[in-house]
Formats: sequence, structure tokens, C-alpha cells
Amino acid sequence: MLLNSVIIVLREVLEAALMLSVLLASERFLHVTRRWVLPAILLGLAGAATYGYFLDPVSELFDGVGQEVCNALLQFATFVLIALLAFQVPQQLRSAPRRRSNRIALLMAAMVIMAFTREGSEIYIYVSGFWNVTDFFSAVALGSIVGGCIGFSIGVLIYYLLLARPLRQEPAISIILLALIGAGLASQAVRLLIQADWISSAGAIWDTSFLLSEQSLLGQLAYALVGYEASPSAVEAIVYLASLLFVALAYFSGKFANKVNEDTTL
Amino acid sequence: MNFRACLRVLGVSVTVFLLLSSGLSAAATPEFEIEIRNHLFQPDVLTIPAGIKVKLIIYNRDPTPEEFESYELNREKVIPGGRKAVVFIGPLAPGRYPFFGEFNPQTALGTIVVEAESDATQ
Repeated sequence: MLLNSVIIVLREVLEAALMLSVLLASERFLHVTRRWVLPAILLGLAGAATYGYFLDPVSELFDGVGQEVCNALLQFATFVLIALLAFQVPQQLRSAPRRRSNRIALLMAAMVIMAFTREGSEIYIYVSGFWNVTDFFSAVALGSIVGGCIGFSIGVLIYYLLLARPLRQEPAISIILLALIGAGLASQAVRLLIQADWISSAGAIWDTSFLLSEQSLLGQLAYALVGYEASPSAVEAIVYLASLLFVALAYFSGKFANKVNEDTTL
Repeated sequence: MNFRACLRVLGVSVTVFLLLSSGLSAAATPEFEIEIRNHLFQPDVLTIPAGIKVKLIIYNRDPTPEEFESYELNREKVIPGGRKAVVFIGPLAPGRYPFFGEFNPQTALGTIVVEAESDATQ
């Protein structure tokens, strides 16, 4: 029971912590105010409790697939915000550190709120489910705390890794990481819609579980970081690649727009 | 292209995505039922036909929540206590696909056995 709760909570915390780490690390070159961080985390936790509390009626929506639709919407919305952020980055790179961007701070806050809502709701349901089971509750509570701490530590580790010498000068690393996280979220959203039968799928196109199992810690990390999926369907793979391209397109059109603006003002 | 134009492009792509994703499949989908009782799946081995989509209805008869999960089937879904959940799987190739209840993985274990149509009728 103890180990089990460690793993469950770790999995959920890991995804939210990674998102937060990459965003915080990218502030090094974007020079965005950090005032959004605490309110975003608190709002995300409130969102998690609300979503978790209302999961029952939400699940009943759309003939019993409301949960999938809701999670897919949150994931896809986060992907869209990542693309918008990529579009904003070139302009901010030019004007930073003179000008602080509220728009970027807002985008980041919204991403964190949605990540915490999505991942936190599952922890809420798990822990609250064992609230009245006195035999298990102490094990579940302790396991959750340990899992939460491990997840948080990995987030901190990645944050400092991104700030370490060879990486810190490179805005591209953060943008590529965000693009990978975004593509992972978009393809996971598609997978949920397949599970809900909103999208039809012809089955897996390959299976790499013998190379890297999704159950392993490394597999979990790869899942959170780049949306690793051992046996994806064709739709998931296509959406993954298309999403990566879309974020790249957003970034370069942001760069282009910035250049045009500059030419006209000169 | 300014920020507003960029938002408009995004709006259009979201709409296209939703339209594409709403392509519903009309064919009748066979249904199979699984129950969760005392953190055990009943039946714990479920045989389904290969090559078609199947609707699983999972009833959680326990007061505690459970998460139906399978790495092999690429499925995961939280089922609140005393509720049912709908999960679509397939079309699948013949084989064995283990699943488990993530909240009670020591006891809640099961397998979906996918059989080719000719095997199933024998």
C-alpha cells in the first residue's frame, strides 16, 4: 500500500513539476515576473480539489466519457498555450530585460493552473477515497507525501540542470522541451478521445516496450517529458509530429512578425 | 502577423480539430461487462474477438475509487466508488493484454484475451 501510493502520487506530481521547472527555468532569459507562480499553484490546487470533487457528475457526461473529454480539453488547451508562448518568445527575447511581459506571465500561469488541476485531481480522488479506511489511511498518507517529495525533487533537479552552465545560455533548449511536452499532451489528448470513441483508431503501429517499458521510472519520466508511448496508434504519432511542427511554426512566425515590426518602425 | 491574428489562426485550427475528432463510428459495438468487488476484477479473464472495437463497462461495486489501467491496451480511467465507467478498446490483434486497478495493484489484476474469430467459435 505504501509503495503503491508513492508510485501513484509520484507519477502525477512528476508531470506538473516538470512543467513548472521548465517554465521557471525559461524565465532566466525571458525576464518575466515571478509573481504569478504562487497564485497559479494555489489556483491549480483549488482546481484539482474542485475537479476531483465533481468527478462523479463529470464522468457521467457524454454517455460516460466526460472524464476523457474534460482531460483531453485541458491537455489540448495547454498545448495551444505552449504554441502561443513559442510565438511570443522571439519578441520577448528582443525586448528583455528592459520590458517585462505580462502576457507571457499569464500564459505560464494558465499552463501551471491546468497542469496542477489535471494531475492534482487524481491525487485528490486517490487520497480522499482512502480517507475513511483507517487501516490504510496512514500508509496512503505517508506514501503520498514521499511520492510528492520525490516528484518535487526531480522537478528541482531538472530546474537546476536547465540553469547549469552549458544549457543556461540556450533559450532553444527550453522551447524544444516545451514543444515536446506540448506534443506529448496533444497526443495524450488524442489517446483519451480514442478511449472515449470520439476518434477511431486502427490499433498500435509499433511497440517499443521491450526497449523502454512505460512502467519503469525512466519510462514514466519519458512519458512526462516527451509524451513517451510504447505502442502508439497512427493518429497519436501523426498528431505528435504535427504538434511539434505547429510549435516550431509558431516560434518562427513570431520571429518573422518581430522582424517585420522592427523593419517598419526603423 | 500580430498576436490577435495568431489567436485567430489557433481558433480555426481548434475548430478543425474538433470537427475532425467528432467523426463518429456508427457500427454497433459489442459490449462486455466487468465488476470490481473487494478490489478484485470479476471476471478476471475476459475473452473478446480480434479486429473489432469493443465497449467495456466496468462497474465499481466497492465504496473506494479505482483506476482501470493497462499499459498494453493504452487505457487508464478513474472510476469513483459505486460508479461505472465506459472504456472503448480495440481493434486489437490476437493476444493477451493484462490490466490492473492502479489503486489496488496487488489484488486487482485481470487479462483481456483477444481471440481470432475462428478460434472463438470452436
